[in-house]
Amino acid sequence: MAEPALALVQSSPSPARAQIAFDNVALTLGGKAIIDTISLEVAAGEILCVVGASGCGKTTALRLAAGLYQPTGGSVRFEGEPMRAPRREIAVVFQDYGKALLPWRTAAGNISLALETIGMRAHQREARAAELLAKVGLAGHAAKYPTEMSGGMQQRLQIARCLAQDPKVLLMDEPFGALDAMTRQGLQDEMLALVASTGATVVFVTHDLEEAIYLGDRVVGLLPHPGRVGLELTIDLPRPRDQLATREQPEFLRLRRALFDFIKASE
Amino acid sequence: MKWSVLGWRLASFAVAAGLITLWQFAADQRLISPVFLPGPDRAWASLMRGFTSGDLLTKLAGTLTHMAYGWLLASIVGVALGAMIGSSKTMRAYVAPTLELLRPLPVSAIIPVAIAALGLSQGMALAVIAFGSLWPMLLGTIHGFAAVEPRLYEVARVLHMSRLAVIFKIALPSAAPDILAGMRLSLTVALILAVVCEMLAGLDGLGQWVLLSARSFRSADLFAGVMLLGVIGYVTALAMDAAESRLLRWQAARR
Ligand SMILES: Nc1ncnc2c1ncn2[C@@H]1O[C@H](COP(=O)(O)OP(=O)(O)O)[C@@H](O)[C@H]1O
Ligand SMILES: [Mg+2]
Repeated sequence: MAEPALALVQSSPSPARAQIAFDNVALTLGGKAIIDTISLEVAAGEILCVVGASGCGKTTALRLAAGLYQPTGGSVRFEGEPMRAPRREIAVVFQDYGKALLPWRTAAGNISLALETIGMRAHQREARAAELLAKVGLAGHAAKYPTEMSGGMQQRLQIARCLAQDPKVLLMDEPFGALDAMTRQGLQDEMLALVASTGATVVFVTHDLEEAIYLGDRVVGLLPHPGRVGLELTIDLPRPRDQLATREQPEFLRLRRALFDFIKASE
Repeated sequence: MKWSVLGWRLASFAVAAGLITLWQFAADQRLISPVFLPGPDRAWASLMRGFTSGDLLTKLAGTLTHMAYGWLLASIVGVALGAMIGSSKTMRAYVAPTLELLRPLPVSAIIPVAIAALGLSQGMALAVIAFGSLWPMLLGTIHGFAAVEPRLYEVARVLHMSRLAVIFKIALPSAAPDILAGMRLSLTVALILAVVCEMLAGLDGLGQWVLLSARSFRSADLFAGVMLLGVIGYVTALAMDAAESRLLRWQAARR
């Protein structure tokens, strides 16, 4: 445990560069302390993965970062400013894609929803939607309704809608949790490529420890009741990552062991 | 798929033709006195006569007008009120018990009240038809707005959608199936009440035509009017079907 803590001190982003900052954040909902307390900084362009036992407050922490909840203690800041409400630069990929998409709009129409709110003209929207669909591997599915698509396709569509916001930050809540292993690995690599091309900051919540290590620059482990940071690991695996080679590296296995022990102990 | 649809169409035509034949037979055999039951031939002749003289057309237009005005008024009020009540939890809590009390009230019970207040007038008919057809739409809209997926409101917040955009791009389309189902029910209610009001207040319309024909034992005219009412019910339901399948195309994709 001493080793990763040391690594954290070395790599900890300086406050000036922090894009999202949790400063002694606490949240009480319905008289129950859900989070108490979290201090955390996410640097611009970083991929931060958050793991923890079920019910430990991962989703709640993400909602705080999104501005969907206001902290009852401490502050959440985006580029130094306190977060008072959701902002367009911060996109959220919800876990339940089936509920987050508009079933009465086609794939292109769902993306258009985001484009409409930024005031893009109708004739530009169509081209931009097609471009974004192609980007997430859904070219040719523009006219399909979400219910005509597989789970993986629907989650791709939600990601495309988030990209339509032109976000600086992507907050993702177990986005691939409901998908089968093959689809999940494909989407992991697609997401890494997308993020590399846009330079967006990513906060990625998952309960899959290997996924966290595979994707992240850093992994934070939360402890439950109330939610707080129990572990930070810096992932020094080379990029681009590879589903087979990366997962076979001794460093990957060592990190996996450390995370596994942490989760085991936290339960 | 196409063929089976065609098959069902043919079968339903065959049933209708069979019933008409049976009707003609009953009339020809005088199983029921012709004073009460004209044959389809006489009813048809009366219908044609009514159309060529223009009498029946005026009555048809009268009924359609009463129905349309009442139904449209109810639609506007029902959807607007329903949206307001349905989208607020507190409003629902306050208003729902009152609605549950008023809903089972037969609309015919308010007709005397409406007559006392507004007289035997067009205004009375409008009020009664609108009030009666308001309920299915109001309740449908409330349910539709209350059932909007909360996650979609969060999507709207993250996207910074305006209040108006949230109503028109999220709440209304999401509630559309419930609203349209309410509108369909209301259409039937509006037709029934239009006929009743025309009978009671002697307003120009098929209700009055049917009543007067019955009183003077003109059974062929009576049947012509009733047939026309059936056609109105059928055609408006078809129009509603067409509107629904256009507006709810996305639901067909789900099935
Ligand atoms: N709106 C709420 N009101 C009260 N308790 C809540 C609310 N949302 C979540 N919780 C509780 O907070 C804890 C953390 O929930 P959550 O953030 O969803 O956990 P995770 O995403 O890690 O599984 C859980 O115990 C949950 O029951
Ligand atoms: Mg969760």
